[in-house]
Amino acid sequence: MKVSKGDIFERVFVNEAVDLCIEQEAGSKVKIHVVNAPFSITVNQLGEGCQTEIYGLEHLHGEDNVTAETHVTHAVGGGTSIQLIKFVLDDNSRGRFIGDLKIAQDAQQTEAHQTNRNLLLSETAEMRTQPQLEIYADDVKATHGASTGQLDESALFYMQQRGIDKEKARQLLVNAFMKDVLMTISDETLREQLLNAIDGVVE
Amino acid sequence: MSKLLEIKDLHASIGGKEILKGVSLVVNEGEVHAIMGPNGAGKSTLSAVLTGNPAYEVTSGEVWLKGENLLEMAPEVRARAGVFLSFQYPVEIPGVSMTNFMRTAINAKREYEGKEPLSAKEFLALMREKKKLLELPDKLNNRSVNEGFSGGEKKKNEIFQMAMLEPCLAILDETDSGLDIDALRIVAEGVNRLKTPENASIVITHYQRLLDYIVPDFVHVLADGRIVKTGDKSLALELEEKGYEGL
Repeated sequence: MKVSKGDIFERVFVNEAVDLCIEQEAGSKVKIHVVNAPFSITVNQLGEGCQTEIYGLEHLHGEDNVTAETHVTHAVGGGTSIQLIKFVLDDNSRGRFIGDLKIAQDAQQTEAHQTNRNLLLSETAEMRTQPQLEIYADDVKATHGASTGQLDESALFYMQQRGIDKEKARQLLVNAFMKDVLMTISDETLREQLLNAIDGVVE
Repeated sequence: MSKLLEIKDLHASIGGKEILKGVSLVVNEGEVHAIMGPNGAGKSTLSAVLTGNPAYEVTSGEVWLKGENLLEMAPEVRARAGVFLSFQYPVEIPGVSMTNFMRTAINAKREYEGKEPLSAKEFLALMREKKKLLELPDKLNNRSVNEGFSGGEKKKNEIFQMAMLEPCLAILDETDSGLDIDALRIVAEGVNRLKTPENASIVITHYQRLLDYIVPDFVHVLADGRIVKTGDKSLALELEEKGYEGL
């Protein structure tokens, strides 16, 4: 699909697998959220001054096996891209993030950020993360980070010491981890609805 | 005066290394006990063991809180039963707001006591009332627990939580460390105002300074995992003068 000059394409997909290939014309804006579904999103910034935002949140349980894939190419300059992908993995779940970010030689003054954070809640869950950056332009601002960790034991104990049982403390920490992905949703009603859905477990 | 806490010949270790080598102590309602001692004596281990920190293993001994076996309780149950620790290093919890954290904690305790949970309105009124005690700013409510707090704010926040939860036994672990004199005064005044004839505190400190503000009924010296000396507040002054070596 094509997002025409100056247009905005903004979508939130919840529990719905996503397979998109998008070409952006100059000055267009793409903002996509995917919650709890596999996705493969390819974005090519073909015109100058495009904005791309891709957010993914995957909360996996049981035998879930989910791959999230992004392929973002800055073909011309002056564009920005932000990617924030988070996985929470419980039980025997498997997660995989593949993130290709390419900044072509002509794409000067591009700003691109890719972040992948993962939280393992069980010893049998597994996360594979494969960020790949190809940068051919020299005047760019690009950052990327990938990390996989576990719940902070000292924070769990701190909460227990205040009378909060361990399971509830875990939920509070997991929700805190997931929250910032949802906070970026523009539609206030939908944002509150999804935030309440993750917060619901602690009330 | 009735007995609140009784520690009998407590031994505890971490990673196979024995730190507490037979601590015995009785704390009655209405009392303030100071525990002093050199670094590595086991002061923080004692507070960790009393609160059920899973990093430590109790190898022998008993601890009773109001006649109940404290060591058999999960950490959160000890907290609900009224054991409160003011942490030496309060933990930052990004993404969990003070309001959500405190309300969850208060209502867990109320449920344990068979009381109805506080409504949002009642809870916020209580927060406002208790914050005044510590001179904490209102903006604290919406901030994540301890995140970006200064050292002084973190310690005030500990005593604020103590004011909210009204424990029967407060353990203050090096609450004076990292505090300037103004913050120290506010923290100490907070602790003093929370004192009742029914509750008690254990004040763990390396220095005598805090005890100018929170006056103990008893001072114990912990060295190499044992209480080696017990006296009144004058013992703290003596230690300040002669050092732990002078014992």
